[in-house]
Amino acid sequence: MTTLIRANLPVLVVIAPLFVAFILPPLARRIRLVEALALLGAVLGLGGAGYLASIVLTQQENPFIYQLGGWPAPWGIELVAGSLGVFFLLVVGVSVPVLLFAQGNLAAEVGGAERVTRFYVLYLLLVGAMAGMAVTNDMFNVYVLVEVATLSCCGLVSARRYPRAAEAAFTYLILATLGSALVLGGIGLIYLITGHLNMGFAAQELSRVWLARPHVVLMAVSLIVVGFGVKAALFPLHVWLPDAHSTAPSPASAILSGLAVKGYLICLVKFLYGVFGPTLLQEFAVHRILTLLGGVGIITGSILALTQEELKRRLAYSTVAQVGYLILGFGLLNVTGLAGALFYLASHAVIKATLFLAAGAMLAATGKRNVRDLAGVGRKMPITMAAFTIGSLGLIGLPLFSGFIGKWYLLLGSWEAGLILPAVAILAGSVLCAAYLLPVIRAAYFAPAPEEDWPDPGRPQKLALLLLAAAVVILGVRPGPFLELAQKAAAELLAFY
Amino acid sequence: MRDFILKRAASLILPFIFVYGIYVILHGAVSPGGSFAGGIIVGLSFIAFSTIYGIEQGRAKLPEKVLVWTESYGTLWYGLMGLVGLVRGVPFLANKLAGVDLGTPGTLSSGGLIPLIGLGVGIRVASTIVTLFFTIMEEER
Repeated sequence: MTTLIRANLPVLVVIAPLFVAFILPPLARRIRLVEALALLGAVLGLGGAGYLASIVLTQQENPFIYQLGGWPAPWGIELVAGSLGVFFLLVVGVSVPVLLFAQGNLAAEVGGAERVTRFYVLYLLLVGAMAGMAVTNDMFNVYVLVEVATLSCCGLVSARRYPRAAEAAFTYLILATLGSALVLGGIGLIYLITGHLNMGFAAQELSRVWLARPHVVLMAVSLIVVGFGVKAALFPLHVWLPDAHSTAPSPASAILSGLAVKGYLICLVKFLYGVFGPTLLQEFAVHRILTLLGGVGIITGSILALTQEELKRRLAYSTVAQVGYLILGFGLLNVTGLAGALFYLASHAVIKATLFLAAGAMLAATGKRNVRDLAGVGRKMPITMAAFTIGSLGLIGLPLFSGFIGKWYLLLGSWEAGLILPAVAILAGSVLCAAYLLPVIRAAYFAPAPEEDWPDPGRPQKLALLLLAAAVVILGVRPGPFLELAQKAAAELLAFY
Repeated sequence: MRDFILKRAASLILPFIFVYGIYVILHGAVSPGGSFAGGIIVGLSFIAFSTIYGIEQGRAKLPEKVLVWTESYGTLWYGLMGLVGLVRGVPFLANKLAGVDLGTPGTLSSGGLIPLIGLGVGIRVASTIVTLFFTIMEEER
């Protein structure tokens, strides 16, 4: 049994959540069972990811290559659990505490048992798709997983009975479908000139043929960058994100902002470095464009976040800014910068999940959306606000919190690349981040507490918040294996440069 | 609709459409069509039934509960067929490698597990399209 599981780990981490997702719908009446099963599905995924990570990290098999159906690489679909894949699989583990937070209190936000079950089904589909994006090495497979993830996200956004949520989901659906179409176009062009859908083979072929057809390659790069850019809310294409992420139910906001956006970014990394390769990126100056858009995204996203009164909208705009950091790191084209971006991706996944869940708990307890009305909440809901504070400090990038290490490596990376402006943008982003998050904390702790009774959320919710907050601190104090994995992944991606 | 001729004709034709859909689903590996197209045909036979005999009759034939079951477990069936490979000690979704007899080329059994996988997909597609139809029709009222 163990050998069976070990031999099939890369596919099991993907299909475990999917299997559970499809068991759930007929059980809608027994909501307790549905919740327990959903949690089980996510925990199984995380457990598999941990086991896989232990195999890859101890160099027993690195990368762990798995051929679906036993068909070898250029013909069959290949799953590759290398450093990057395992790294993102571990990040997908954020879905476990978020699901823990959802236990027992979704009905208030989403509606009856049937709607709650639908939420869990979509959630697990999203988790499965994210795990698939982490390990797949086939371009068309990426497209399919992107579609699964996108449609699940739309369902999650509209899970609440709320007209604004439906509107946001519709906007998101249209823009995301446009993004998928662009990605598919890009994949089609690559397939047209290389004849391969496997990323490794396509990359080899592309390095031979791109000189003969530079315009096709340029077109493919642009389609892929713009397509994933729409989905990952890259700066000028972010218009759907604030509405979608702020109107979704809180666990959905946490998973959408924390994880879903990152899945598309991992796919983008796979395409940029795994298919096109750094040399081609440099040839077309794609890396400059990425750095520029990232830098502008940091500043604009942060300023827009500063102007938001509603707490969840402020956090959603902050996601746009943080995506800017990642994109900026992808464009630096050196190991330090890319490792920093990858580590920041993991740290932002944890931090943003913490912040959104804490904001959701406050919203549920107080019924107040705006930052101004939340004065004094820190004394009434100590645990929630403590988690929020730790998350905020992490996002600002203070030492001892996980955001610091990512930002530090990004700074070193831009220094290495000899670029001053990205470094300025990174620092300015931190200052702006402090400007839009610290007032929340100040008002929460130092304003007089109101008369109303605002209780902390229930036990599973508190546990989820504490777990996430602990992860923020642990990643900041002892980044050890995680940072190592990020550096190894970055080194492998830039190996031929 | 209270059209006698339509109802009689439908009662003659619809069973054949249904069976033809199943045929297309199962023979996806050896003939044009496949589980998606076949599933649509199967679903269509139910949709035509509900338009001709009325939504209530259609609902009685396929209650919501049945649709939920077929929709989720049709997909699950696909996954279970993939596990056949795992159990035999070969990769997920393996067909011939899993020791399935592939029979003579051109016949139904030459697909190995594919007709069975297709059956799951077909059931899922059929129930999805029927669900969509019922949802749209009930929204209009």
